[in-house]
Amino acid sequence: MTTIIWTIVTLAALGLVLSVVLFFVAKKFKVEEDPRIDEVEKVMPGANCGGCGFAGCRAFADSAVKASSLDGIFCPVGGNDVMKKVAGILGYELKEKAPEVAVLRCNGTCSARPRVNDYDGAASCRVKAALYSGDTLCAFGCLGCGDCVAACQFGAISMDPETGLPVVDEAKCTACGACAKACPRKLIEIRPKGPRSMRVYVACSNRDKGPAAKKACANACIGCGICAKTCTHGAVTVENNIAYIDPTKCKLCRECEAMCPTGAIHGLNFPKPLDKAAVKARIAERAKKAKEAANEQ
Amino acid sequence: MSSKITFSIGGVHPDDAKLARACATEVLPLPEVVYVSMAQHLGAPAKPVVSVGDYVKAGQVIAEPGGFISAFVHSPVSGTVKSIAPRKDLAGNSVTHVEIAVEGDEWAEGIDLSDTLVTEIPEDRQFILDRVKNNGVVGLGGATFPAHVKLNPAPGSKAECLILNGAECEPYLTSDYRIMVERPKEIVIGAAIMQKVLGGCRCVIGIEENKPEAIKSMSEAVASLGYPDIRVQVLKKRYPQGGEKQLIDAVMHRQVGSGALPISVGAVVQNVATSLAVYEAVQKNKPLVTNTLTITGDCLPVEKMHNYLFRIGMPLSYIAEVAGGVPQDAAKIISGGPMMGRAISNLDACTVKGSSSLLYLSESRTRRKSASACIRCGRCSDACPMGLEPFLLNRLYKAGDVEGLEQASAQDCIECGCCLYSCPAYIPLLDYVRQAKGMALGAIRARAAAAKAAAEAAKAAAPTPAPAEAAKNNEKISK
Repeated sequence: MTTIIWTIVTLAALGLVLSVVLFFVAKKFKVEEDPRIDEVEKVMPGANCGGCGFAGCRAFADSAVKASSLDGIFCPVGGNDVMKKVAGILGYELKEKAPEVAVLRCNGTCSARPRVNDYDGAASCRVKAALYSGDTLCAFGCLGCGDCVAACQFGAISMDPETGLPVVDEAKCTACGACAKACPRKLIEIRPKGPRSMRVYVACSNRDKGPAAKKACANACIGCGICAKTCTHGAVTVENNIAYIDPTKCKLCRECEAMCPTGAIHGLNFPKPLDKAAVKARIAERAKKAKEAANEQ
Repeated sequence: MSSKITFSIGGVHPDDAKLARACATEVLPLPEVVYVSMAQHLGAPAKPVVSVGDYVKAGQVIAEPGGFISAFVHSPVSGTVKSIAPRKDLAGNSVTHVEIAVEGDEWAEGIDLSDTLVTEIPEDRQFILDRVKNNGVVGLGGATFPAHVKLNPAPGSKAECLILNGAECEPYLTSDYRIMVERPKEIVIGAAIMQKVLGGCRCVIGIEENKPEAIKSMSEAVASLGYPDIRVQVLKKRYPQGGEKQLIDAVMHRQVGSGALPISVGAVVQNVATSLAVYEAVQKNKPLVTNTLTITGDCLPVEKMHNYLFRIGMPLSYIAEVAGGVPQDAAKIISGGPMMGRAISNLDACTVKGSSSLLYLSESRTRRKSASACIRCGRCSDACPMGLEPFLLNRLYKAGDVEGLEQASAQDCIECGCCLYSCPAYIPLLDYVRQAKGMALGAIRARAAAAKAAAEAAKAAAPTPAPAEAAKNNEKISK
């Protein structure tokens, strides 16, 4: 009995003495930290994905507090809502950024891209890309091993077994860019989501010349340049046999999409399906008028 | 003959399957058109110096080196240049090719096409090096490293031993074996020329014990030609004996350090086929436009196997056609040996200087079994000839631990595939370790580049030392 009592008394005394020591040590060696770092970290999403370019949310908060403005500091996961709170805490001016989303610039589905080889090595796009140009004749397209799926922390990408291509779930995608970094072919682009998520983009990255690209994939961009000629907003450029639509200039008129001979240009989330004939007629009408105007002069 | 020797750690014993050993070398007829790749060698691709419509003779320079580590490329045929455009190589990647439509077979002037053996070795070292360089000789053991760079070690390093690699440790391949049986004297003269260039070192010709005819013919050639300090060394059969570092270990019992070149231990290793190319380049002034290629595999009956003397730029599909077509049951066609070779994804690709085989392997030989979990048996570590731990590298790679990979010496991997061969769980170790090696090498190179930039910045910032001080330093050195 006495043993138990003595044990309790000794431990309690020890605890008391040590707590007093710890109390004074904590006072003496206290690290002065800006309390705003904790405040900022509290409003962060806490995903620690590194999409902002810093090593986790705490590092982001630390950098944001130390910076003098929010230039180049943006949390893609939290978006403008979180950044508004951060700006409020720190008293900085908020620079709103249009919400972004990951976009796959390849539409080489199984049916469009004939397979000429069979791969049975390690299931990794990175390994596959180092070995050869892929199962199909297209040396630029999706390799289909799902490195992007593995890289996504938000479960926003999944492989579609029918097309063999990854599908981005827009609701879940935070545009952190992990998939874009993981893709050895650089097929994933982080693009502005667009008004009501409507956007037009070129779903191909094949830089081969037209005939070779066409042979490799029925959905390929052949670099014909019709889209660039059609566009009245100067949003489309063709470089290295591949078209690119500048999202900042695109007015979502979908004329390029209607004119594309291979269907490489995709319009997403539009309320109505594209009436190609009507758009083509509109373009023809405009061309006719322009010609008449030129003749009159 | 001295006793058989081999390298000290790791290695595996695959069935050697030298099925085409009895097939004498045949000369391939010329196709209608050839496509000469500009990336025939390790290092920078060559730059074409001909233009479309030009008439070129066989042996004429069509491309110049694109950098220090690069090589000349010569036209393998006579004819008209049809195009200079990107074309897919055997991995399906685009490389610039010069397309030449074959017209007759006219060779450029100054090339000795006769069979007479020229045994007298030129005295002038620079003359030999120039001939090797200007005739576009590259290492034919697999890496296609420009030979003139290797034969001209940096000042301060001295070659003690030239090792001629006749191991041909890869299963199936017999092209080196055939040239050792058919043209031993030329190979030995080539070795003597390289000895001369390297300043009179000794020369050891390493041949594995499973090639008794080659050992016999090479020994006879060495004895009859009577050059000093050349001998044939019989090696125990073991893969990857033909690896540069393994061969140095076997022959000289020296280990080349991590990231170091063989010359650091006084060794220079050249393949027997390279030696033959050196002979032709120096003694006959003939550019490297031909090489020997084996057509074999477990899908082919022995009577359909061949050893061909091919010219560079011949489409593989053409060679396969001449040899009697691709067998129906070939699941995989491999260029190079079954251990280190690459599966061909595009049979329209063309031969390059380093092409060594067309290997038709059946489904049962090539289909990978599905991987299961690592059971920590350690067989991969036992098999690794570089003393690495492939299972660990695999784990570190998956964790993205670049620092750990560097500490575990991932950069020293020679990609021989022994780990994958020995893994009872069929884990694609080589696939991952190759990536791991790339990551480790990338980190090392990035650091070296940063250090170089920092040193240059410091040099630019620091004032140049005063002449008096410099003189003092010189004095110190001379003392």
